[in-house]
Amino acid sequence: MTRYLERAGHLCHLLQLQVETLVDRPLREIHFGWDRVYKSMNQTPLSGGGIEKFASDDYTLADSYTLADHLTFERLNPDSVRNCVAYARENARQVRNHIAAEMWISLNTTYLRLEKLDIQKIWKVAPESFYAETIEEISAFAGVAEATMYRDEGWRFMQLGRYMERAQLSAAILLAQMEMDRRQDGSFDTDWANLLHVYHAFDAYVYAFSVVVQPDQVLDLLVTDLSLPRSLYRSLESIASELSAIGPGPDSRSSADAAALASRLCQLIRRDWREKEDREATLVQVNADCRKLHNLIYEAYIDYPIEESPIN
Amino acid sequence: MDFDTYELDDAVYDEMFLSDGTPREHCRSLYEALLRLPVEELNRMQERVTNSFSNEGITFTVYGDDEANERIMPIDCLPRILTAAEWRQIDVGLTQRLEALNRFLKDIYSEARIVEDGVIPVDMIRGCPHYRLEMRGVPVPHGIYVAVCGTDLVRTNEGFKVLEDNLRVPSGVSYMVANRKAVKTNLRRLYRSCRVGDVENYGGLLRKTLRELAPSDREEPCLALLTPGVYNSAFYEHIYLAHEIGAALVEGRDLLVNDGFVYMRTTSGLKRVDVIYRRVDDDFLDPLVFRPDSLLGVPGLMSVYKAGNIVLANAPGTGVADDKSVYAYVPDMIRYYLGEEPLLANVETHICRRPEDLEYTLDNLDRLVVKRVGESGGYGMLVGPHATPEEREDYAKELRKNPADFISQPTLQLSRAPCMIDGQAAARHVDLRPFLLRGHKTRIVPGAFCRVALREGSLVVNSSQGGGGKDIWVLED
Repeated sequence: MTRYLERAGHLCHLLQLQVETLVDRPLREIHFGWDRVYKSMNQTPLSGGGIEKFASDDYTLADSYTLADHLTFERLNPDSVRNCVAYARENARQVRNHIAAEMWISLNTTYLRLEKLDIQKIWKVAPESFYAETIEEISAFAGVAEATMYRDEGWRFMQLGRYMERAQLSAAILLAQMEMDRRQDGSFDTDWANLLHVYHAFDAYVYAFSVVVQPDQVLDLLVTDLSLPRSLYRSLESIASELSAIGPGPDSRSSADAAALASRLCQLIRRDWREKEDREATLVQVNADCRKLHNLIYEAYIDYPIEESPIN
Repeated sequence: MDFDTYELDDAVYDEMFLSDGTPREHCRSLYEALLRLPVEELNRMQERVTNSFSNEGITFTVYGDDEANERIMPIDCLPRILTAAEWRQIDVGLTQRLEALNRFLKDIYSEARIVEDGVIPVDMIRGCPHYRLEMRGVPVPHGIYVAVCGTDLVRTNEGFKVLEDNLRVPSGVSYMVANRKAVKTNLRRLYRSCRVGDVENYGGLLRKTLRELAPSDREEPCLALLTPGVYNSAFYEHIYLAHEIGAALVEGRDLLVNDGFVYMRTTSGLKRVDVIYRRVDDDFLDPLVFRPDSLLGVPGLMSVYKAGNIVLANAPGTGVADDKSVYAYVPDMIRYYLGEEPLLANVETHICRRPEDLEYTLDNLDRLVVKRVGESGGYGMLVGPHATPEEREDYAKELRKNPADFISQPTLQLSRAPCMIDGQAAARHVDLRPFLLRGHKTRIVPGAFCRVALREGSLVVNSSQGGGGKDIWVLED
């Protein structure tokens, strides 16, 4: 449930920033934004074609409408905002008796609102306000959960899901940015500034460095700063901490492996990040290890062999 | 609001009004309260009630050709009121009926004396698809096959009648409670002054009942509610009940059989389960015994059940007692097992496997309701007076082909109650489904899921066929 909501919230935030660029930003920046969204999601734009590079304003706006629809409402796109919220709701329905009624109502209301909308309706007025509202509702859900849920194993697993997703999304968007930067022989300052906004980190950056945006410094901040709520390191630390709070699962070997892997990932960022020459390779490794971690957690707590399982 | 356009018909019992248009005495407070309320306020109330169902996701699923559609249960905001005396009649009548049905099940899965004594023809039992040979001789805890029962009752000018016994996995109780919560908050002053019997303690009573059935050596029995899953029509109810009774909500894949016991997977290991309130049909319970292609059940479950290491509520095989043909014999069962006259009447039923009943049914198709014995939810039914001659002819062909699959009943004039339809009070046909629980004793909450045929003139109250729900207030003495 929280994985899907984290994904929906992240995508909404990317789309909110992206539709804001449509108002007055140059075409290059708009194209960069769409490419980054799709790459970070490991998807290609519709029919493999998508946005036509450096076309006219009219074409770009028309393409943007189609892409926004695909990412927001398309039922055949498993990662669309609508689908993520629907999957989260379906998960919530299954555990409805373990979550507060307020949590369910909050999520269900968001789902019902999305069901009544389509791209035409949101595009007519101000699409950014639709995305802002959806982000607000997802945040409200997290707030209601924070305020109402008993801090038992269910809560821990919910948190674990959220941080797992956040770590993967974080690594993915950084990788997309770096790949495009490399391919285009350097991106613009505005692209990196925009990335800071994706992480709600622009003010933190200015505070830590300066108003001059330096790609390396941006990367350092977004990857290693433990005080930044969405930094990669913070997500990985939170994963390790939740796993430790949950304790070993019925499959003790997989749970030990999961805890060890989470701890290794933290170490990789804390100790090795700044010395690493090839930072892109490090992020690729984090991404792959997060997938591995997901499988280990599943084996440790859900799909464990019954022969070795303790009986309560 | 006013009732100027409200339609009364001498042939149809009205739940609120006498035939001269004056309100029944026990409905007077409601009537006067409604008269005082501006229609705009009632419309807002109806909207609030509907919205509360929508936001809380109180839904059911309708299976279409392509996909399952989740729908909000339509609810009418005007309550239907029953007196304490009326409720007592229902209570004792249904208690008597459930006792006889449990004895019948125990009998036919052991000595089958009722068949031997010629009260029920043997082919009626053998021909019933819900008769489970696998249950022959299986000891059932306390002899209680049916722990949860939802009986459909209708009222005509002749009084209450039993339309159907639902003894397998009766649903609707969550809507009964949800209707109550939604309606009472909107009519709070009237509700408080009326002294209405509580239905919201149903979960507590169900929990007590299930714990009474648990193996006696288990001090703190572990309860689980087995659901077919999120796409099941009654999934909302499964979540609600699991929460109310403190049971784990599980699917078949969450359970396993090991060393003669049933366990559920948890994130901290396996946990032994003592009682399963199953909301999965017999056919899907155990692929090793029933349908081998079932993914909803638990392989080996029946072997644990037969060994007495798990309680299933309701027991497998109870469907034979709510078969639409066997239904016709329930009054005889009451006489046979209890030596009493039935306190609640059956609806006159023609069993089409009997040649004379088939002939009668075919001759009177335009006046009868014909039902398939194996169907429920209003599917596969012909309402003769509302059908076209072509529909009746097509149905007659089916009847002639497999008479044993059908029963027929007269088209009952189900009672009507006022409902808010398009901003006005309009009369709609209603029935009621009270829920009985049988543990060490029989328990019933004073209330029921009242189903309403929301389409004008329709007699079909099933939610899958355009029906909705309504709160029932049972007044205390």
